[in-house]
Amino acid sequence: MCDNIIEIEHVSKRFGHVVALDDLSLTVKRGEVVVIIGPSGSGKSTLLRCIDHLEDIDSGSIVVDGIPLTEAENIDKVRAEVGMVFQLFNLFPHLTALENVILAQRVVRKRSPQEAEEIAHQLLAKVHIPEKADAYPAQLSGGQQQRVAIARALAMQPKIMLFDEPTSALDPEMITEVLDVMLDLANEGMTMVVVSHEMGFVKAAAKRILFMCDGTIIEEATPDGLTLDACKEERTRQFLSKILT
Amino acid sequence: MTLDRMAYEIETVEPTQEPQAQSLWQRFDRWWLLLVGVIILTYLLIRIRPDPYGRIYRFLGDGMRVTVGITMVSFLFILLAGLIGGFGRISKNPVINAMASIYVEVMRGIPLLVQLLFIYYASPIVLRGIGARLTTIWPALSVRLVTIKLNPFAAAVLGLTLCYGAYMSEIVRAGIESIAKGQMEAARSLGMSYFQAMRYVILPQAIRIILPPVGNEFVALLKDSSLVSVVAVADMTRRGREFMASTFLALETWLMVGLLYLVMTLFAARIVAYIERKTLFVR
Repeated sequence: MCDNIIEIEHVSKRFGHVVALDDLSLTVKRGEVVVIIGPSGSGKSTLLRCIDHLEDIDSGSIVVDGIPLTEAENIDKVRAEVGMVFQLFNLFPHLTALENVILAQRVVRKRSPQEAEEIAHQLLAKVHIPEKADAYPAQLSGGQQQRVAIARALAMQPKIMLFDEPTSALDPEMITEVLDVMLDLANEGMTMVVVSHEMGFVKAAAKRILFMCDGTIIEEATPDGLTLDACKEERTRQFLSKILT
Repeated sequence: MTLDRMAYEIETVEPTQEPQAQSLWQRFDRWWLLLVGVIILTYLLIRIRPDPYGRIYRFLGDGMRVTVGITMVSFLFILLAGLIGGFGRISKNPVINAMASIYVEVMRGIPLLVQLLFIYYASPIVLRGIGARLTTIWPALSVRLVTIKLNPFAAAVLGLTLCYGAYMSEIVRAGIESIAKGQMEAARSLGMSYFQAMRYVILPQAIRIILPPVGNEFVALLKDSSLVSVVAVADMTRRGREFMASTFLALETWLMVGLLYLVMTLFAARIVAYIERKTLFVR
């Protein structure tokens, strides 16, 4: 088994004239928590979406857990191994919290109804909302919805979890409840790639911090090294001065 | 109670739940009364003036069954056509997309009456012409085509399906496109295929959105089915014309025909409204 679970080599992606990813390379080791920060429009979300193949890449290669993301039949295989958490939750509004967590287990993993329901209950307990199993998404707060979304992704027993600004659509009060769940996951050894500017989480969980700008990674740091003086690039310092308060 | 707890209480109020205090009268859909009123009016006409209203009613009876039958059968095919056409319209395959788009645009641009007349009276001529040219190549098919005679009922169903299928395609397309893009992405990111995502995530939500316009189409179809009387289908309208031709009772005949259509459409509209309320969900 290869030690690198995500291998991204020279990936470029453009939307019309806009270059979203510019010859970007990145490897993530098994069990590593990588946080990506950077100004909006720098390609952070696009990078995550490319790893989950929600966007096609124009050139380069992405290999996830030894499976190259090129042939069509590999895509669903990779997606089942990669959990994705979205900024706007994207829960299925016509299903209850429990059914949201059950659906893909039944359809993709072909688990029995009893097994899927049991796992769903366990995961809702894990994200601290077992009592909301029968509530519909519209009856849940943003923080609760995002935790159901995390449970839904975990139900596939993914090897990697991608978080695309999971707390930026939440009220300040609800951010911690989501970050706590993410922190638990990190402590359990889940490989995570997180786009987030929550410095509390970054300091507590991140192993590596990547600073993205204009579609490429311009600087890499450890949580300890994430200070204004330690950063080499002027652009990084500029950005950090705004979020490190 | 902490602030947190209160915020949570407020957020979990169900928007669609009706207050308990509502009486049966308040929850009752009062449009049913209009339907009951029209039925009573029709009944009184028949009882008080059996001649000619009772006679007209009995004469129209089998025509009414044809009208209901043709509407139901057509509607099943229309749903199927709408599903195929709707998926064609959102297809990324340029050939399928173009075919579906041309179908929708052409059918919506020609009056239903003209389509029905073409299918019943003009298309056999085309088929016979083709048959005449196939005598040496494929004799068996040629004979069938040359002697073709369209069944009026089938021609009517075909005409209604082609025309309404185009409108239904647009309803299906709009319904699917109204579901946020994130829903498909979330489903796909869990490893579902496109069809699984459609089947379990997109369509269940889209159906609730397209149900009201689909119901409208059903009621409109019920009325437009009167057009099939021009292609030799003995529906209620045609039976009315026959009765009037033999009795010259224009006022009484068309009053009765109008009332009976009204009973059917009001009833259909109530059923549609009932189904809509049953499938409401919290968004």
